[in-house]
Amino acid sequence: MYDSYLYFPATAALYALSVLTALVLIAGIFSSVTLWFKGKAPILHHGLNTGAIVKAFIFDCLLQLQILKISFVRWLMHFCIFIGFMGLFAQTSVMALASHFLPPDTALARTMFSNEINVGGAGARIFDVWGDFFGLMLLTGLAIAIVRRYIVKTKQLETLTKDTVSICLLTTIALTGFLCEGLRLTDPLYAGVAEYSFAGNIIAGIFKGMGLTAASYKAWVWLHAFISLFFCAYIPFSKAWHVFVSPIEIVLDASERAH
Amino acid sequence: MENEIKTQETTTAAAPTETQTAEAAPQEQGNKKINIEKFSPRMLMELDACTRCGECSNWCPTYDQDSREPLTPRGRARQFKDIIARQHGTFRADCMLGKLVGTKPVTEEELAAFAKDLYACSTCMQCHFVCPVAIDTVELWERIRETIVDGGYGPLDTQKDLVLKTKNYDNPWGQPRSSRARWGKLAKKKKRIKDEPKDISKSKSGVLYFVGCTASYDNNVEEVGINTTNILDAAGIDFGILGNKEKCCGSVLLRMGDRPSFEKLCKDNIEQFNDLGIKTLVTSCAGCMKTIREDYAKIGKLNFEVKHTSEYIVDLIKQKKLDMKSPVNLTVTYHDPCHLGRHSGVFDAPRELLSLIPGVKLIEMERNRENSRCCGAGGGLKSGYPDMQNKISQKRVADAIKTGATELVSACPFCYQGLQIGIQAMNAPVKMRDITELVCLGLGIESGADGKADAAEADSE
Repeated sequence: MYDSYLYFPATAALYALSVLTALVLIAGIFSSVTLWFKGKAPILHHGLNTGAIVKAFIFDCLLQLQILKISFVRWLMHFCIFIGFMGLFAQTSVMALASHFLPPDTALARTMFSNEINVGGAGARIFDVWGDFFGLMLLTGLAIAIVRRYIVKTKQLETLTKDTVSICLLTTIALTGFLCEGLRLTDPLYAGVAEYSFAGNIIAGIFKGMGLTAASYKAWVWLHAFISLFFCAYIPFSKAWHVFVSPIEIVLDASERAH
Repeated sequence: MENEIKTQETTTAAAPTETQTAEAAPQEQGNKKINIEKFSPRMLMELDACTRCGECSNWCPTYDQDSREPLTPRGRARQFKDIIARQHGTFRADCMLGKLVGTKPVTEEELAAFAKDLYACSTCMQCHFVCPVAIDTVELWERIRETIVDGGYGPLDTQKDLVLKTKNYDNPWGQPRSSRARWGKLAKKKKRIKDEPKDISKSKSGVLYFVGCTASYDNNVEEVGINTTNILDAAGIDFGILGNKEKCCGSVLLRMGDRPSFEKLCKDNIEQFNDLGIKTLVTSCAGCMKTIREDYAKIGKLNFEVKHTSEYIVDLIKQKKLDMKSPVNLTVTYHDPCHLGRHSGVFDAPRELLSLIPGVKLIEMERNRENSRCCGAGGGLKSGYPDMQNKISQKRVADAIKTGATELVSACPFCYQGLQIGIQAMNAPVKMRDITELVCLGLGIESGADGKADAAEADSE
């Protein structure tokens, strides 16, 4: 395991929490899907149209151009939250999986996780930029969402408790992520590579000015991990459930309309 | 103003009066549990797919009149999801898990209130077109209505009347079957058409003109049938009608949620149509067209093509079977009927047809094509909530007035009725026209509308 780059060694407790999260997530998904399949009418009137499905997936699910047609601000908000969260999720997953399963004697492992300067190899800098970029994206989207929902109070929005909970959780995840990154980079160990974490490095500068050190880093990482896992488990019961379900509806509708 | 509307409505066969108020009719209650099996897994998934972004509420014509959340497509989906989750979900009220988390059982009052709001919808399909997730809303609403009817909570009292009449008389207006083809006889008598349309069962013509209940029975819009007949005659088309053997297309039954009756009627009609050996079925009613072309096709196989008159007439003009020789110097605006446009995807043909009539200047309303504002007449809204329909219609008429056009043109007898209500209520400076009327003017045929007084006279005979 390449603890040095992971910043935080994955402990048994973290794995146990992850498994618990996965179980709740699966149970939530199972509960919803079971309810759907209590419906016995045919799912579609026509056969699947692959071309229409692929097109809708790219333009309407990934790029979300149908939202852009309605409003640039709404598209920016939605796109930033979606891509930001997915980017961070991918970063964490790739890092965790690679650190465990990438054979140490490979060129890729040496590039990514070399302990030459105890902070990972040159390739690991991709993760530094990746994390900050998608983290900022997520924060930007959330900032727009908060302004629209709680400050401007856009008329068409209906705010339920679970919406507020989702926004609070995501915002906390993003903020604690940057807080952790800032605290980590206060460690002189990272002095030579800190600039790759372009946003985290600014926070680190502020923390240094305040006299803060990386001493409490692990506690914050734990909080960040705990909230992130809680959010993942909460997905099937929250507004975020549409992240999984809406794309299915979008592509099925496109397929049906193509006939 | 109200009297004018009532007058219009009383001549509209059995249309409800302005004083009728919508009441949910939770009769035959007892089967409180929604029959979830009637839905497809996709439909139930759609309830989860709604992101509650509220875009639908910006466009919904009924929410525009009554700003209550349960009237929005978003609110309806959320409420229904809540109902089925409490009745059928993992944490349903009648199971141990549900009791553990304190799930409340669904009450009859809740279902009755839900049903009442469910029918405050014209099924205009605008919500589908603006939904970023593209939820197939109307099919969902219609299926929910079906289960609500099964439970005895719908349709509303005034709508029940339409359903009963359709089942008993084969038309929602409760008029005798024997008078369905009376419009043709009267038109012939008053020399508004050259010959009565042929009985297709005898003529074995290749084209069936499906007149539809509204154009057949409502003397306010009978010129739709008369004009269509004149146009087809002018083109030399060998066509016929079913006359008194024509039955309602069943749209009313489907929209109200009486699917078993709809399916029976649909199968009867498909059998009747297919046995005729026709090549084309032409209809001037957007609702009939949507039902026959889109909904019948989900139940049975049709051995002919279905065309709206606007599509068919464009073809005839292109084939040079019609000579649009008379200039019609009118500035018009076109209202897309929901069932023709959003439901069936026919946006271009009526516009092309208008462009082929010499002298017609078309000015589009701000909301057109996919975003055309509904007139409020469909989906049972006009019978269930006449006041609301009146106001929705006025909004659409105001859209038309804003263009500066003198004529408001549509391509559906039901929209004609619905918009006429708004025009009368506002005493608006626009004249309601069916598109066939302008075609007749372009052909130099005396418009059916101009002979309306004669029709009234003939009626009284």
